[in-house]
Amino acid sequence: MSDQASNLLPATNEDTCGPYFPINFADPKLEDLTCIDPGLVGQAAGVPIILRGRVLDRHGDLANGAILEFWQANARGLYRTPQTQGHSDIDPWFHGYGRLRTASGAYEFRTILPGAADGRAPNITITLFSDGISRIVTQVFFDDQAGNDSDPVLQAVGDDAPKLIARHDGHTATGAEVYLFDIIMAGDGETPFFDDLES
Amino acid sequence: MAHQGRILGIGPTDNTSDQRTPRQGLRLIPEAARDSFVPVVPARYGTTPHEWDMTRTASDRPRADGVPIEVTGRVRTASGRPVAGALLEVWSANHYGRYRHVEDHSGLQLDENHLGVGRVLTDDEGNYRFWAISPGAYLARPDIGRWRPKHIHMSVSGGSSRLITQMYFPDEPNNAADPMAILMGDAFERNIGKARDAAETDVEEAYDFDIVVGGHNATFFE
Repeated sequence: MSDQASNLLPATNEDTCGPYFPINFADPKLEDLTCIDPGLVGQAAGVPIILRGRVLDRHGDLANGAILEFWQANARGLYRTPQTQGHSDIDPWFHGYGRLRTASGAYEFRTILPGAADGRAPNITITLFSDGISRIVTQVFFDDQAGNDSDPVLQAVGDDAPKLIARHDGHTATGAEVYLFDIIMAGDGETPFFDDLES
Repeated sequence: MAHQGRILGIGPTDNTSDQRTPRQGLRLIPEAARDSFVPVVPARYGTTPHEWDMTRTASDRPRADGVPIEVTGRVRTASGRPVAGALLEVWSANHYGRYRHVEDHSGLQLDENHLGVGRVLTDDEGNYRFWAISPGAYLARPDIGRWRPKHIHMSVSGGSSRLITQMYFPDEPNNAADPMAILMGDAFERNIGKARDAAETDVEEAYDFDIVVGGHNATFFE
C-alpha cells in the first residue's frame, strides 16, 4: 500500500469555503431534480420528495451560508456514472447530482425518492461545505424502507443509525412526500460523518 | 495497522471552526458502499466569455483598483490524469479586502469596478487560466488582531473530482498564523501559488497554481 501511495501526486489541501460562496453561482436546476429544466418537458421517473431540514452547529444554532451537495440513484436504483452509460435503467431526465446554498442554514431539496441500489437501502449522499470546515460527508436514509435493517452503512454506525434516517412528514398538496432531516455538525446528537475517499 | 477514521482538526482562533467541526471521529465507509459516496457531477455548467477576466466587471469597463494578476495551472487527479472540462468557480476579495457578497458586513471599501467572482473551464489537458485583482488581506478577528492572509477561493467540480480550496500568496506575513494553514502544517506549501514572469500579458504579476484532486479530503492527520 505505501509503495503505491508514494507514486501518487500530493493532493492540494482542501480548505474552508468561507462564508462568501458566490450566490450568483447558484443554479435552480440543481435544487430541483424532479425535472430536467423548468422550461423543458422532461420529468424524472419516481416519487417526488422534498428533503427538508436544518444544518445546525455545536450550540444548536443554524449554520448559515452552508453549501449542500446531493448525489443519488434514480428511481430504479441506478447511479448515472461513466460505468452505467447506456444501461437500460438510466432515466434520461435524471442525473442525480444536486447543489444548493442555504443563507440561513435551513434547506429544502426537491428530488425523487431514490431506488435501492444492489445491496443497499435507498439513500442520498450529502456533502457539506461551510465556513470553518473543509467538506464533510454523510448519507441520509428514509423512514420505513425495507432495506434499512440490512444496509451496510446503517449497520456500520450501529446505535447511531436513527441519526441518518429522515422522518416522513406527510405530503404536499401537489403530491410530494416530505422528509425531515437535520444535520448536526458538532456536539450533542452529532450526525455521523464518513471519512472520504479519493475523489 | 488498524484503520480508523480521522478526527478533524479545529482551526485555532477560528470561532466558526469551533462551532462546526465534528467532534466524533469520522466513520469508515463500508466497502460495499464505497462507490455510492462518489458523486459524478454532470458537465452542464455554463460560463460567460468575460468571466475569466475578473479584473473588470465587464469587457467595456475600467480595471478595478489594485494589482492585476494572472493565475494559471493544471488540474490533475493524484494519479496524474488531467481533469478536463472541469468547472472552476473562483471568488476573492477586492484590493481592500471586501467581498461583493450581500453577507459581507465588514464595512471595508467596495470598488465599483470589481465583482470578484468568475467561472472558467479546464481544457482537454486540465489547464485553466484567469485574471483577478490581487486580493487584500483583511482583519478577520479584530478582538485578537488576527488577519486572513491574501487568498483566492477556488472550487473544482468535474466528473468525480471535487475540491474546494484556496490559493495563498508567497511570503505573506499573515500566512503563518492562519488557522487553516496551521492545520495543514508543512503541506500548506502546496496551496501557495508560485510567482512567475508575467511576460507580455496585460497584468502585473502572474502565478502558477497546479491543483491535485485526490487523497483524503484533507491532508491533516494523515
